[in-house]
Amino acid sequence: MLIGMTLDNSKNNCKPAEVADEMSEALVEVANERCKRSYAKVFSYFAPRLRSYALKQMGNEALAMEMVQDTMANVWQKAHLFDASKGSPSTWIFTIARNIRFDMLRKLQNRKEDICSDDLWPVLCEQTPDANETSLDEQITLEQVGQLFENLPDKQRAVIEAIYLDGKSQQEVADQLSIPLGTVKSRTRLALQRLKDMLEDHD
Amino acid sequence: MIKFHPTDKQLTQFAEGNIAATQALVISAHCDMCPQCQEFVQAKSYEFAKDIENIHAHEQTDPAFEKMLAEITAMPMLNVRPDITPRIELDGKFFDVPKPLQRYVKHTGNWSKLLGKVWQAPVEIGGEYVANFIYMEKGGQVPEHTHRGNELTLVVNGEFSDGLNEYDSGDFLMMDSEHVHAPMSDAKDGCLVFSIVDQPLHFTSGLARLLNPFSHLFFK
Repeated sequence: MLIGMTLDNSKNNCKPAEVADEMSEALVEVANERCKRSYAKVFSYFAPRLRSYALKQMGNEALAMEMVQDTMANVWQKAHLFDASKGSPSTWIFTIARNIRFDMLRKLQNRKEDICSDDLWPVLCEQTPDANETSLDEQITLEQVGQLFENLPDKQRAVIEAIYLDGKSQQEVADQLSIPLGTVKSRTRLALQRLKDMLEDHD
Repeated sequence: MIKFHPTDKQLTQFAEGNIAATQALVISAHCDMCPQCQEFVQAKSYEFAKDIENIHAHEQTDPAFEKMLAEITAMPMLNVRPDITPRIELDGKFFDVPKPLQRYVKHTGNWSKLLGKVWQAPVEIGGEYVANFIYMEKGGQVPEHTHRGNELTLVVNGEFSDGLNEYDSGDFLMMDSEHVHAPMSDAKDGCLVFSIVDQPLHFTSGLARLLNPFSHLFFK
């Protein structure tokens, strides 16, 4: 079905901002609908550019094409990790290419350290919804949170208070309340989900 | 407050990916704690990405690309599941560590008492480097030493001073043979640092010099 899909030349003259918007939309469609047509659009714009970039970096056509393939495969497989609010599609794709190149070079140099690019530049990791997550909190006032907080079921509120106000670990909370660790985890998750839902309703 | 940052040059090399992995690891962990450096790296990445956008490239149809496109879109999509945030534990106290170091929590060995009130837990990162979490209790001190190679340190939690400066959570330190220092913590909750060295430390004063023949056993 991909036969005859020509690489699109028309994007060349567009303004960067328009290209960025178009690519963002396409990536979202890839993530949500596995849309091959949208992916082909992203591919036809970035693959040739990445090849030129990779050739400059690696100085070797075979390695350059390997870098393009690995980078673009990551774009396809992990499109759901692209977040337009955190940067443009080209910045995201650059960071993936940089990571691929970093790991390729380390492999070529036979480096022994157990350090890989995903740890160093976590562009392809899911953001963990943990205690450090503040982005949501920052958008509303403390007072609002306090009110929503009151609406939580008592058991969930107790767990949230112990973790987020007293700074206890989940294990410590489990010990303190004499409940299994799994229960603490599920209460935390439910409470956070509930708070999140309430915040969204709030908007 | 963070006072000690990687240099602009180091941050630029980090953004570009042209940097030694051990340095990148400590810089990455620093950036996780330091919004200012994070922003710098993000801005640099944006610039490098612009270079790719503006690069001269032939966009005509190419059979190699057609084949690649078909291969890629035949691949399954992945669903990455988030892990539970691992934390470092010492004597019932838990410490959050920056994201880039979290994967290494499970590669961290048991704590052993080095001397006095200083504790160390080795982190397996492979290669020729030795990484440790080091915890100084209040009043704990590492004897004065210099470095045969390079020592990269990130203050993970707490404060310490070393006769040269005072450091706080998030501070990034790079020491070599030019630096002689004696880290000690006076903070109520002590201080947890992450450090990578490529050569054993060299102790420079008092009885601690007796440690030198063995320093590869401890402080490497």
